[in-house]
Amino acid sequence: MVATFLSSWAHVRSRRADGWSIGALSLCLLLLGPVVALILKALGDSGGLWGHLLDTVLLRYISNTLVLMVGVGILACLFGVATAWVITRYEFPGRILFEWMLLLPAAIPAYIVAYTYTDFFEYAGPVQSQLRMLFGWTRPSDYWFPEIRSLGGATLVMASVLYPYIYMVTRIAFRLTPASLFEIALVHRKSQFWAVGLPLARPAITAGLALVLMEVVSDFGTVEYFAVETLTLGIFNVWLGMNNIVAAAQISLVGFVFILSLLGLELYARSRQRFASTSRATHALRPLHLDLRGQTACILVCCIPLLFGFVIPVGVLLKFVLTGGLVGNALAIAEVLGGSVLVAGMAALLITLVSTFIVLAATYRGGAALRRMAMVASTGYAVPGTMLAIGVLIFAGSVDRSFAAVTGDGRASLLLGGVGILILAYLVRFQAVGYGAVLSGIRRLPDNMMGASRVLGNGFTSSLRRVILPLLSGSMVAGGLLVFVDVMKELPMTLLLRPFDFETLATYTYQFAKDEMLEEAALPALMIVIAGLLPVILMNRMLRRTD
Amino acid sequence: MLSSCIFRTLRDGLRALPVTLLSLLMLGGIVQSVHASEVNIYSHRQQFLLQPFLDAFTAETGIKTNVVYASKGLAQRLQAEGEASPADVILTVDIARLGEYADLDLLAPVSSDILNANIPAHLRATDGRWFAFSTRARIVVTSKERVADGAIKDFEDLADPQWQGRICTRKGSHVYNRALMASIIAAHGEAAATEWGNALVANLARRPQGNDRAQAKAIFEGQCDIGIMNHYYFGKMMFGDKPEQRDWANAIRLVFTNQDNRGAHVNISGGGVAKHSPNRDAAVQFLEFLTQTTAQQLYGEINFEYPANPSVEPGGVLQSWGSFNRDELNIEKLSELAPSAQMIIDRIGW
Repeated sequence: MVATFLSSWAHVRSRRADGWSIGALSLCLLLLGPVVALILKALGDSGGLWGHLLDTVLLRYISNTLVLMVGVGILACLFGVATAWVITRYEFPGRILFEWMLLLPAAIPAYIVAYTYTDFFEYAGPVQSQLRMLFGWTRPSDYWFPEIRSLGGATLVMASVLYPYIYMVTRIAFRLTPASLFEIALVHRKSQFWAVGLPLARPAITAGLALVLMEVVSDFGTVEYFAVETLTLGIFNVWLGMNNIVAAAQISLVGFVFILSLLGLELYARSRQRFASTSRATHALRPLHLDLRGQTACILVCCIPLLFGFVIPVGVLLKFVLTGGLVGNALAIAEVLGGSVLVAGMAALLITLVSTFIVLAATYRGGAALRRMAMVASTGYAVPGTMLAIGVLIFAGSVDRSFAAVTGDGRASLLLGGVGILILAYLVRFQAVGYGAVLSGIRRLPDNMMGASRVLGNGFTSSLRRVILPLLSGSMVAGGLLVFVDVMKELPMTLLLRPFDFETLATYTYQFAKDEMLEEAALPALMIVIAGLLPVILMNRMLRRTD
Repeated sequence: MLSSCIFRTLRDGLRALPVTLLSLLMLGGIVQSVHASEVNIYSHRQQFLLQPFLDAFTAETGIKTNVVYASKGLAQRLQAEGEASPADVILTVDIARLGEYADLDLLAPVSSDILNANIPAHLRATDGRWFAFSTRARIVVTSKERVADGAIKDFEDLADPQWQGRICTRKGSHVYNRALMASIIAAHGEAAATEWGNALVANLARRPQGNDRAQAKAIFEGQCDIGIMNHYYFGKMMFGDKPEQRDWANAIRLVFTNQDNRGAHVNISGGGVAKHSPNRDAAVQFLEFLTQTTAQQLYGEINFEYPANPSVEPGGVLQSWGSFNRDELNIEKLSELAPSAQMIIDRIGW
């Protein structure tokens, strides 16, 4: 990372001091600050704990994490790519409805889904109760039923709420694939999906998959509740159980290295492959009409992820809200909603601006080094939230101390204890989301777009304003909305870094959910989903306009 | 229409990026202002459990309270904030967490006659950096139907092979079980504790999972016959507003263990004054308030916990469960042994 920085700095120095490159580089450094703070923490002495960890739990943590990554990766790809394919390629009843509803699971925090699934699938839940009634079983020993609190359960839960990341980008990729290519496949009796759709959508799928896997590595709520021993769970055992935050920081870097090497692999694979221009199709791709059996299959493909990712969890939450009679809390929750929307809105705005700035600078001003730097700067997403929050704390602490030294007031503070540190933390964590969205937007623009505008006499900034930005607007807004939804449901960082007496819907939900008081947690959890609805619908409209 | 409006905002924002960044950061600075006669609390205890205490304190003293609740990382926040920290009071559950604050030197010694008189010596730090406010016993619960009364008396009995496939617990690395393991180490040494742990794990009916309530539920459903839980969950299930949980509570019998030897393993909720507390007097006043009769009884009423102040009688429901002997091991010992306990838990795979 340091090498990347140095080489990109050397690169900047070798050209004239360009405001865009320097600005983007400084922003990347700001984004990396908390991660670097965590790395510095990890350099401390862990008191010889690694021998014990290697002997006992570490291999289990790593293999569980890998199995979970592979499982969620496969299932989320299956859900995301299959739905994106049938939505773009076929005509069937309900297609328009499914198109945006398939994005909805993105608005539900995974740990809430884990709670609701437990309620739904456990021994006393409706599924097993019905089965017992149906078959006349009376005891748990009478039959076998898969345990939901398990690695498999965690895989299902995470894939069900994370597949929209893949669905969203893959759908755009399918839609932008020139229709003529599909026709060629038809003529040659090759599969449109395997021979054309999938290969051309691969960069998009991997981009979505990267986000999904980063979420998997950093998830704590779900694995804790299901008692699946992943690296993240191990981090907390070492930190809180053995009072050893140095070793905890070291383990979290192991997860971080997982992600970095995956990203590296993908970069390598992509560097050996050139994709033909997938710019505007010469004529629009028309969805194909299907017979009844085909239509049923399409509906089924869309229903399954929606059932697991939305209908079951929201149904369970609704049941609690309706039977709980807890509408009395509504006033308190309305206040909390305000706080949530405020910080999520601020973070979404800021992240969109920062990632657009970085992407523009890296694409049109910086060299390959700055582009790599920008990518590295968006990996905060792969560090578990609480650990990243500690990195943010250490970083902000040193900023504040410098500030206090300058002002001469020992109690002066710029970041800590205010909303500023929360926004900084969101920026570091969710930069990946905004950056990914804007980057995929700019990749779709023909390379010579900027050149053409400059030749026509526009300056650089005027070309950006008149040509590039309008074409990027869809991706920017989509990225911003996704960040908004992500911040709305973010828990561990908000919990730790927030100012006094400040609640978001996620933290408000958590204080009840922590004790499995699902009835009390249901209404605020449902509000997170409802607050995510509008962004999801807007996002869908932006996605549709990309063609 | 809406999206183009959003886009325009974004485009204008991009031009003003530096100003936006700076003003957002400044906003953080403005939000934070310290008033007189306030107490700022960092709490590991959920807000809704804490609120009745805060209301009573404000009603009695007129001092306003502000709270940040988080389950983990508050010690690191306090550490990062250093001298600039606005925090006055730290409230935690579990002694090992208090130990973490003490280790990082984040707490200030307090010498208060009221606190020293109200809290017995084994429930507070020798240097006055922290105090217990309530105690909770870790107990064994057994199925009323399937386990004979008196069949289990001590935690040590859970290692008996006759219970093979009949015990349910939450994960060993949870603070409650970690402290329990620490108490076993304190009583028998590491080797014997490992042996006990191995035998317990061999007796488990299912992979450790869920929280304490989930163990009672599993007994009710017949998945297992014996569980480990904190005593107050029984009260919460029995007297909460959820009828199904009352059924779980009715299916189990409470066993306060080790009554014929060292006494039941207890843990505490507690707290201390932050090292750089800007409102130190009010902070001490708040701690004193928590050890006096009104607050001490609240612990029982709200969460079925036992008062740490021996001169305060536990409330009606708690009294009806009978009195019991507690392990009077200096509670600090549990915190010291927590890392060893976690290592054993890793080794035995609990």
